[in-house]
Amino acid sequence: MWVQIEQALNQSMIRVLNELASLLPGMAALILAVLVSTLVAWILAFLLRLLLRGLQFDERLARRGAAPSLIEWLPQNSPTLLVTRVVFWAVILVGFLIGIAAFDATVMSKPTIQVFGYLRNVAAAALVLLVGSFVARFLARSVLIGAVNLNLQYARLLSAGVKWMVLVLVLAMALDHLAIGGNIVHLAFGILFGGIVLALALAVGLGSKELVSRSLEREASKKPIDAEERLRHL
Amino acid sequence: MAEQDDIPQRARQHVERIGAADLVIGLLAGSKDGEIGAAVANVREALARISSSVRSVVIYTDPALEPAAAEHSPVEEDANLHLLSYPADPAATPALTTQSTDGPYRAVFAAGEKLGARACGVIASSLDNLTSNWIYWLIQPVLQLDFDMVTPCYAHRTFEGLLNSSIISPLTRALYGQRIRNPMGPDFGFSGRLLHRYLGTAGGARAASRLHPLTWFTTEAICGGFQICQAHVGIRSHPPTDWVNLSSVLAQILDPLFVDVQHNAAFWQRTRGSQSLPTFGASVSVPEEAGAVDVRHLIESFQLGCRSLQEVWGVVLPPKTILELSRLARLPADRFRMPDELWVRIIYDFALGHRLRTISRDHLLRAMTPLYLAWVASFAVEIESAGAAAAEQRLEQLCVAYETGKPYFLSRWRWPDRFNP
Repeated sequence: MWVQIEQALNQSMIRVLNELASLLPGMAALILAVLVSTLVAWILAFLLRLLLRGLQFDERLARRGAAPSLIEWLPQNSPTLLVTRVVFWAVILVGFLIGIAAFDATVMSKPTIQVFGYLRNVAAAALVLLVGSFVARFLARSVLIGAVNLNLQYARLLSAGVKWMVLVLVLAMALDHLAIGGNIVHLAFGILFGGIVLALALAVGLGSKELVSRSLEREASKKPIDAEERLRHL
Repeated sequence: MAEQDDIPQRARQHVERIGAADLVIGLLAGSKDGEIGAAVANVREALARISSSVRSVVIYTDPALEPAAAEHSPVEEDANLHLLSYPADPAATPALTTQSTDGPYRAVFAAGEKLGARACGVIASSLDNLTSNWIYWLIQPVLQLDFDMVTPCYAHRTFEGLLNSSIISPLTRALYGQRIRNPMGPDFGFSGRLLHRYLGTAGGARAASRLHPLTWFTTEAICGGFQICQAHVGIRSHPPTDWVNLSSVLAQILDPLFVDVQHNAAFWQRTRGSQSLPTFGASVSVPEEAGAVDVRHLIESFQLGCRSLQEVWGVVLPPKTILELSRLARLPADRFRMPDELWVRIIYDFALGHRLRTISRDHLLRAMTPLYLAWVASFAVEIESAGAAAAEQRLEQLCVAYETGKPYFLSRWRWPDRFNP
């Protein structure tokens, strides 16, 4: 019996080692593809940067009236830098995809394929959470500053509300990607959001109509018109 | 070099026909009926005081003008004075707080360069208050005294031009060492040499960095070692700022200003002290409006900001400043005073925060609004019944505080992480 156990263990170990060994060439190909594509990307980006600077790309774009709000988001306000970076990362991405293609799906066992497949979902969920938390903070800060500048006393409350609404939405999206909860998440999210919107609608439309209108009137009357008529900022 | 693209197609042919001129005057504000005629009469009067032989070209923008009709002129020309109209580009207005574009200025500069002009006057203010004196003082120092740039001094009431008085002018003075009353004009006189510089690589680089031209005209002239003077031109009218849009105004003006500070860091780090400039013309006094300024709402805005925006301010302001602001927020209206040192440190810290991009630049600048209102309230409470002379003295005191605080800014600029009191 011990011999049979030993044989079974040996066979499974050999199978796993064989599978790992069959992955090694693919791994090496992936690393090589990424390294070569990085080199190619660097050379391409360098040449492109030289070319665009020679053509005075930034100046030309500025004179053609590219939207300033768009340009503010560019790295160092430079469209040239944006183009070269896009090309750089696009070439690296292509190299990575070539490397991934080097893996022969047939040599992988079904559980390995499933794990790889789920990892993609985990990565997507992590990305959604990361971007979502950034967007939530950005929007919350925008609302806070805007509300304070409009003299709204409940600025912090508004800001927190926006932040949590975005976070809840993002969390639901991430859970959906991870296939956790299934319909429960959809249902809970629908109820939560629908509830919030309905509550606000009822509050404004029925229960707090007068309260809200009084509040808005109070805020409107707070405009320092008398002061502003004498104070000129420009 | 001047790019042909900067001059509208039809006007280009007209410029070629004119051939050469000593002086180019650009009237950038959209003209209403009859205003151009009056403005040209003022130009003729100003030129008559200088010399009868100055060949001049007046360029004006006409919002109602179709490009095809660009050669039509409502005023009679003569041998020494030509008129040139540009169809106005609705997206390219040069006034402050509008879309960042240097198009209208570049169009005038390009015509000046093409015509080989010795001097160029650009008037972007409304033509309502334009006088011959205004034009004379903008161009005479360039044509006859060999100055490269004339910046305007406007006559205004105590509580007008507050953004310039509280930030733009004192900051420019402290950093670049020149006591310029209105560094951002928008009306200027330029020499041909300076036009050449603006249209050359320096101007191209600034245009590419999306700087509003008004923020870099003066600093470019200072950094290039050009001769600058000032002239009292008269009363400039400007519509009141929309209260709701004040934060947008701040963001639109301070963003290019701080970008320019970053651009010229190598220059201003070497500059020490400040010097006054030759000033021409006579200042005009404007009667003050009667009645007290109601500052309660300004203080309330600041107090709300202090309660809600500490998290945002804390990103750029050191704890000591936050503490001082909290104390200030507790003061009653009659004793509400923001010390100059505190205000100066706030401006310097925001300029540094803008450079470091710790948070979105737009958020950062908009979050400054309650602080700016606190300064306005403090200034109004202090100067309320003191009169124009006392206000002038008070603003001079603020300028000195900016200069005194410059070492703080230098230290923070050079070692933002190490030097954080």
